[in-house]
Amino acid sequence: MPLSILLPMVVLGIAGIAVLLHLLGLSKPATFDDGSAATRAWLREFPDDTPTRVILSHDRHAALVETSRGPGVVWPMGADTTARYLDGARITQTDTGLRIALPDYTAPRITLKLDPDEARLWPGLMEASR
Amino acid sequence: MTDQLTYPDVVNFAVPVFIALILIELTWIVLKRRGGRYETYDALTSLVMGAGNVASGILLGFVAYGFFMALWAITPLDLGTSVWVVILCFVLDDLRYYWVHRFGHRIRWVWASHVNHHSSQHYNLTTALRQTWTGTFTFMMLVRAPLILLGFHPAMVLFCGGLNLIYQFWIHTEAITRLPRWFEALMNTPSHHRVHHGRNARYLDANYAGVFIIWDKMFGTFVPEQDSEKVDYGLVRNLGTFNPIRVAFHEWVGIFRDVIQPGLTWRDRLNYCIKPPGWSHDGSRDTSETIKRKHLANHPEDANTPGFETLG
Repeated sequence: MPLSILLPMVVLGIAGIAVLLHLLGLSKPATFDDGSAATRAWLREFPDDTPTRVILSHDRHAALVETSRGPGVVWPMGADTTARYLDGARITQTDTGLRIALPDYTAPRITLKLDPDEARLWPGLMEASR
Repeated sequence: MTDQLTYPDVVNFAVPVFIALILIELTWIVLKRRGGRYETYDALTSLVMGAGNVASGILLGFVAYGFFMALWAITPLDLGTSVWVVILCFVLDDLRYYWVHRFGHRIRWVWASHVNHHSSQHYNLTTALRQTWTGTFTFMMLVRAPLILLGFHPAMVLFCGGLNLIYQFWIHTEAITRLPRWFEALMNTPSHHRVHHGRNARYLDANYAGVFIIWDKMFGTFVPEQDSEKVDYGLVRNLGTFNPIRVAFHEWVGIFRDVIQPGLTWRDRLNYCIKPPGWSHDGSRDTSETIKRKHLANHPEDANTPGFETLG
């Protein structure tokens, strides 16, 4: 197939499907029903490290997790979730919450939307549990 | 000897069919509220990975094709171009696919290329298009060498490989549960391939087939989908980014960082490239075998059930 046909078809196909999915409401980030759901999401990534404490964000989109190995976060990846320890994290407060930079090529930047009081409190909790 | 032989570029011609089937699957899921899940960023990442795969083929395809034509120039054998030869080529190329795919899960160097196909936590038709950008660097074109040397023309081998890829598109769906028993016994199906995409301990390193599931049954890697255990899709440690560059290259970066660690022997450095994913010189990480053993320690009742037979 000539590139002059293939290229526009691929570009329009990708863009069209992405726009359609968004219009269908399929861009909403995952939400945790409660702390247990956040615990399950953590254990899905780190089954050997049971959380000793889980703090759910007010909007229930993220959770701060404490384990015997140190603190971590669970956060949405689209409609799903993932989790990371905060080893080597650089935490910056933003207008909408926190930005966490990790020395991890597979999760270099975590953006957490938090209430102002959460955004002030969480960095201290993250430090305290290290 | 047949030097000038051309077949249609079937994968590129299938692109509009791929798009149409994605729209049909999406419509089905939205209307029926079952049969799978779609999410914008995940699907967009998969589609961009697919486009990148086509682009890498255009840019780097000459490497494999040049290698195959060099082999074709030296082989004294030419099986011709009859329909029966094409069918035989398709079957043997599917056997080749099985082994390349198995290597892709058991050798970290090859996994670095293949991992992106498993990096979605969804399983829908866009997942099928989440393909590698770095296949050329795995040198797995070597596994096709015997086919060329046996007298199958390189164009025919690549044509059959394209058909193989197209077959595998439609099996990336949850909208189809099970197919007739005879079909499930012989062919790779959505049910068998869902198992392959599972991150459950039971489903790790299973069902490598492309078209014919018989290879897994022959070589002891077949695990049937269990109604009692829903497949959990994705990687053992799921990515925290949708950036296609990071999706494409993260395991290569991981290998590089492991290999350059100070204080390792040269054997350790080599092993970080060729041992199964999860291997580490100090045993601090989990391979699929370790994950299965840990699961059995917590769930001894699963011993000798599908996916755990060899560990029981």
